[in-house]
Amino acid sequence: MATNTANPLGEEFAFDIGGPVAKYWVAVLRVITGWWFFHAGVTKIIENGFNFAAGPGYLKGMTGTALGPLPVWMGNNLAWLIKPGVPLFETLIGLGILFGVLTRLAAFGGAFFMTLFWVGNAGYGHGLVTGDFMGLLLMITMAALAAGRYYGGDAIIEQTRLVEQHPKLKYLLG
Amino acid sequence: MKDTIITTIDKAAMALGGGLILLGVVGLGIVEILAGPPYGAAPTTNDAGEVIATPMVDANLRVFLVVAGLVVLLAWQVYRMVATASGEDATQRVEMTAD
Repeated sequence: MATNTANPLGEEFAFDIGGPVAKYWVAVLRVITGWWFFHAGVTKIIENGFNFAAGPGYLKGMTGTALGPLPVWMGNNLAWLIKPGVPLFETLIGLGILFGVLTRLAAFGGAFFMTLFWVGNAGYGHGLVTGDFMGLLLMITMAALAAGRYYGGDAIIEQTRLVEQHPKLKYLLG
Repeated sequence: MKDTIITTIDKAAMALGGGLILLGVVGLGIVEILAGPPYGAAPTTNDAGEVIATPMVDANLRVFLVVAGLVVLLAWQVYRMVATASGEDATQRVEMTAD
């Protein structure tokens, strides 16, 4: 597979922003975004272990939202997963984005979390664009720009024979 | 496989996904401004907690449009991932001497 060494973003599916300042800033943004989620997850683990009891209740309270009965159903039926899953996945998502490993997969997880927060917190008094929505957009931006390719682990992982043999993996890496 | 955005499906998914998101946030946001107060997307209440004004467009509808746009973009990426051909070079190579 041909590689454009001058512009790693120029190959494959990625937004073509090859300048040094853009790479630098995407990397900075990625580390901050990763730290944001890592901090949220790891502090929950420190305080309560893998037992985030508020999670199911939060979802059960999401009645009458645009997501329909899905969050309430999750709160009622997936408490066994949500209690340990929220701190665990927030931490893993944070680490993945922070170090740029499996960045797109981690960003998808982050976008899922932020969609629930955006809809659940529903502080639309000043309009639809809230801090949670900006966080959601940030996660999508990490995936769209393949942020892990800039000073991140995915830059190395994508050079391996495994990824070259299975280019589908670039939709989880990058 | 050269993984560039050229197919009709790619263009349609980008137009639909981005269009739904922009419609929910910006398009109906403009409608809200033109419709007058409240300019936010939530009902306004007085000190007693009574609703005194509601937005013209239900916030749930706008949120639904945005989420639908995100789902379209996710489905598009899953489609692209599935459609990506394996990079395994299955060609048998044998060493040959020059004539």
